[in-house]
Amino acid sequence: MRSITLSQAVNEAIAEEMRRDETVFLIGEDVAEAGTPFKVTSGLVEEFGTDRVIDTPIAEPGFMGLAVGAAMTGARPIVDLMFGDFLFLVMDQLCNQAAKTHYMSGGKLNVPLVLRTNLGATRRSAAQHSQSLHALVAHIPGLKVAMPSSAYEAKGLMKTAIRDDNPVVIFEDKLMYQDKAEVPEEEFLIPFGEAKVLREGRDVTLIGTSSMRQVCEAAATMLEADGVSAEVIDPRTIAPLDEATILQSVKKTTRAIVVDEGHQNFGTTAEIAARISEKAFYHLDAPVIRMGAMDVPIPFSPALEDLTVPTPEQVAENARRIVAGELIHAL
Amino acid sequence: MPFEVKMPQLGMNQDSAVIVAWLKAAGDKVTRGEPIFEVETDKATMEVEAAGDGYLAGIRVEEGADIPVGDVIALIVETEDAVAEHACAPVPASVEATETAEVAPNPTPAPETTAKAEETVAPAPVEVRAPAPPALSGPILASPLAKRLAKERGVDLAALRAGGLPEPIHAADLSRAATGGQSQLGARISGDALTALLQRSENADRTVLFAAFAAGAWRDVFETDDATIAIRGLDGATVHYPAHGEAEAGAAMSLVDLCDTRLQGYAPASGGITLSVGADTDQFALTLSFNEASLPMAHAITLLDAIAARVEDPIRQLI
Repeated sequence: MRSITLSQAVNEAIAEEMRRDETVFLIGEDVAEAGTPFKVTSGLVEEFGTDRVIDTPIAEPGFMGLAVGAAMTGARPIVDLMFGDFLFLVMDQLCNQAAKTHYMSGGKLNVPLVLRTNLGATRRSAAQHSQSLHALVAHIPGLKVAMPSSAYEAKGLMKTAIRDDNPVVIFEDKLMYQDKAEVPEEEFLIPFGEAKVLREGRDVTLIGTSSMRQVCEAAATMLEADGVSAEVIDPRTIAPLDEATILQSVKKTTRAIVVDEGHQNFGTTAEIAARISEKAFYHLDAPVIRMGAMDVPIPFSPALEDLTVPTPEQVAENARRIVAGELIHAL
Repeated sequence: MPFEVKMPQLGMNQDSAVIVAWLKAAGDKVTRGEPIFEVETDKATMEVEAAGDGYLAGIRVEEGADIPVGDVIALIVETEDAVAEHACAPVPASVEATETAEVAPNPTPAPETTAKAEETVAPAPVEVRAPAPPALSGPILASPLAKRLAKERGVDLAALRAGGLPEPIHAADLSRAATGGQSQLGARISGDALTALLQRSENADRTVLFAAFAAGAWRDVFETDDATIAIRGLDGATVHYPAHGEAEAGAAMSLVDLCDTRLQGYAPASGGITLSVGADTDQFALTLSFNEASLPMAHAITLLDAIAARVEDPIRQLI
């Protein structure tokens, strides 16, 4: 099978859906001629023209509000938010308008909108361009949140997002745009709420979102050398979350580590760990371990920034400790 | 409510720490934040502070002892009067596990003291355990899975802890506890017929006869032609019956003949099926020690009963 980059996969997904459905359009800063700073949308303006690939001024609340209105009235906008950190600028349009319109209109209006943005540190972009804020929007009922972990997932989830009649926020890891993966030529969609078991194991379940999936896979390889068998699961979407697959795995392995690049406090790791603790409590042989980004503003200093993100070594070390039955948290 | 003073986790990969010095003695008044003892990890020596106000009591470890992280090492009680109530013998710096052995006080029977001797004879082999560590208070540290399995299997986690199983208790500890212990069956058999046989035949060797009974019973019970008995001599040497030089690992069971001693039974702490025979006036005391994971109780009963029948009526073995 051919391998393409995550960037190409997203581009293909958007192009295919724009060809299939003329109500789909792309709007955001530098999406047309510039093709975004990450070159994800390059070439789209040549095929679809400036009516459907729309460059905007630097005014996130404005173009987000415009897109919500367009979605309510029959269009299917894809909003490009250059950095995930700018979510704070579109919170009212996203959380108070897009997420609630279907409910507050008694089901008369839909907001079939995709907000494309990114997450991930270690790009030396400092505290205001390095955050992973997916937990913030996953907290809001009415929004769906997808977190592709490879080019394959990026394409399949983007196509599903565009066809969904609800607002969807899709977070791509900005360090993964050039990472290649096998992606079929023929059309495919990845349904929301279906986790993927990437590796089967016996002793511990490693749950990794977005690029933390690769961290978990690397940790599992290290653990294999030590005779510890790790199962790796990528939830793919955190809202909706495929609880059944995660619980089934943890009931088998009796131990779980949840790894995510958002801040650990009140984060995605906490939510998944809590669900495991509630629903698989009597199957747990060790505390569920959360591993999120360090709870500090992401430092600019490369040496410090690298310390804020979970590494395969740390995941493997935690796995060894819980499999060995170490006392993790004394009463 | 007394506070438990526990060995703190002072480093990422630290499993235990050595108590360098107690800075307070039992009965001393301590206030929150006051250093009470000094510990040494592989990286550093540091003072550990009291977590609350009260009086130090129940010091369980001596200076120099290497204590696992999380172990309760002392208490802080509310009143001075409670200090004595919680007093306990400290664990010395090096603790040696007591061998599991059985010494039943069995004075040499003399006709005029028979009645008295019977009173002092232990009625059946009693398992002697290593002395239990000080009873620990507070909730049992066990995983939810271990707790559920314990409930399902009727295993008492508190008893496991009192027996020395370190916390936290996990599912694997429970399986080991459930299958790892040795079970025992005991029997007292009239020795008249065997004693008479031994007296009539100068060539008959008592120990070899026991081995023959054990092998014969084994062959009958398990319907096999192959039953080797490893005879463990009191001098530590092992010989096999029938003698064809097999390793003990290949033996069906071990035999220990204690009839020439005052002892009545022997149950090894680990592994294997062991028959021990002790003499008691005109009776033989048979003890079968086995692991129920490898020899189910029903089979063990049949086996020991078959051996007992042969001891009681040696002619059965000969025909």
